[in-house]
Amino acid sequence: MNAGSVSRYRHRRLANAMALLLGTLATLFGLFWLVWILWVTVSRGLAAISPALFTQLTPPPPGNGGGLANAFIGSLEVNVIALLAGTPVGIGAGMWLAEYAQRNALGTIIRFLNDILLSAPSIVLGLFVYALVVRPLGHFSALAGGLALALIVLPVVVRTTDEMLRLVPSTMREAALSLGVPQWKVILQILLRSARAGVVTGILLALARISGETAPLLFTSLNNQYWNHDPLKPIATVPVVIFQFAMSPFSGWHALAWAGALVVTLLVFVLGLLSRLLLARSKVIHD
Amino acid sequence: MTDADLQSAGHGRDAAAASKLRVRGLDFFYGATQTLRNIDMDVPERQVTAIIGPSGCGKSTLLRVFNRIYAIYPKQEARGEVLMDGENILDARYPLNRLRSKVGMVFQKPVPFPMSIYENIAYGIRHHERLAKAKMDARVEQALRQAVLWDEVKDKLKQSALSLSGGQQQRLCIARAVALKPDVLLLDEPTSALDPIATGRIEQLVEELKCDFTIVIVTHNMQQAARVSDQTAFMYMGELIEFGDTEKIFTKPDRKQTEDYITGRFG
Repeated sequence: MNAGSVSRYRHRRLANAMALLLGTLATLFGLFWLVWILWVTVSRGLAAISPALFTQLTPPPPGNGGGLANAFIGSLEVNVIALLAGTPVGIGAGMWLAEYAQRNALGTIIRFLNDILLSAPSIVLGLFVYALVVRPLGHFSALAGGLALALIVLPVVVRTTDEMLRLVPSTMREAALSLGVPQWKVILQILLRSARAGVVTGILLALARISGETAPLLFTSLNNQYWNHDPLKPIATVPVVIFQFAMSPFSGWHALAWAGALVVTLLVFVLGLLSRLLLARSKVIHD
Repeated sequence: MTDADLQSAGHGRDAAAASKLRVRGLDFFYGATQTLRNIDMDVPERQVTAIIGPSGCGKSTLLRVFNRIYAIYPKQEARGEVLMDGENILDARYPLNRLRSKVGMVFQKPVPFPMSIYENIAYGIRHHERLAKAKMDARVEQALRQAVLWDEVKDKLKQSALSLSGGQQQRLCIARAVALKPDVLLLDEPTSALDPIATGRIEQLVEELKCDFTIVIVTHNMQQAARVSDQTAFMYMGELIEFGDTEKIFTKPDRKQTEDYITGRFG
């Protein structure tokens, strides 16, 4: 090795160490806030969790005692409406994109528009449903909240269904079609089944996304201090209750907001874990 | 069988063998590229016809014309005639799903459907026929026996087909195809993803299946073609160079190109 190459080598080692250092610092910087947020959520949330949280109604001001039972059930109802409305349409559209419009211009355009919907500000979707459902009905409702969230579910499910179906090897299509089975049956019975894990993962991720959505619910499902099982009436949901309670001056409400935030965070965590597990298992089967 | 089916020219081991498929002036286009040129060929009934040739010569393309599986890709187009029992299967009026139930296909890589072993076989049958449970069970068993897989799977029919080994999966795919009782069986390099033992079993199976089916097999393994086939077609650059008795093709071919390929001088 001559002197020139030695110095170049040193230079490269130094540059490598610098890059490593900066990268590590950036990671730590990001993690720092994340851990802080989680820590505060977990510690304050745990302090406020009690059996009453799941059995009692949201308390009136000044907010001592009580729980979030009606908000949990309300969120469940709104999310179920969102999944029922968004998932079938999303899977259908994803199927169409992957199987019938794989290479044509219309498919490309719709895929692009879907990506825009995917990143649309959720408050815009809420306003859209406000104009479309709430105004004609004359009042806020669980149904309107569910539909607003369905618009968030839709592009996620379209995207994952489309991508997961396109990952199914073309030989699977050929093998099924070569049995003389028509294409629509092949898609529903063979291709969708072999992409099942991925499609379900997409639905779980969509559920995780809407579980914390607040903005679209503000003008649609609004809130309700009491039980409501009528989809045409306003309903309490966890994110909106958290929003309302966190903005209030009452410490009892603050505690409930922290507890609600912890539960939602845990739910999203579990959904993320579940989807990872599903994907990992399906990979084993494919190999 | 009609007179039209009977082959008059008689280039075959059995001069009386009728031809199941008659290819006349077949051209194939992939977009603007022509990949098959003016193919004429008679595939004899209940014999094994091998198609050999170097990569990209069009042998798989030719096979994929016989059940029109190419038609799922919009840019691919076949022109000419392929007569099966006197009817042109390339005619747009020829019902595609009937064609595919009469002409089964097995692919290079085994592709079991993500369902049980039993369901893999029953799936295709169920689409074409309505059978009572007992009859369906019998059909599934028959198909698995024909593919010499029954003894290995009879106790685990409800298990996922993905749990089988590669060789077993390929025999399952053969069983799935023969379960529809097709006339013709197309095998597209069926052993290229398998080990020698599994390959041997498939070759043996082909030998047995030709009593019931007309078999066309594409292979890039010349020994395999020599072992399993009665007729061999040699293709090069989208043309059918030579077609005849396997024994003759491998011992004294008429064409220089065939001889060069067989002896390994190119390809």
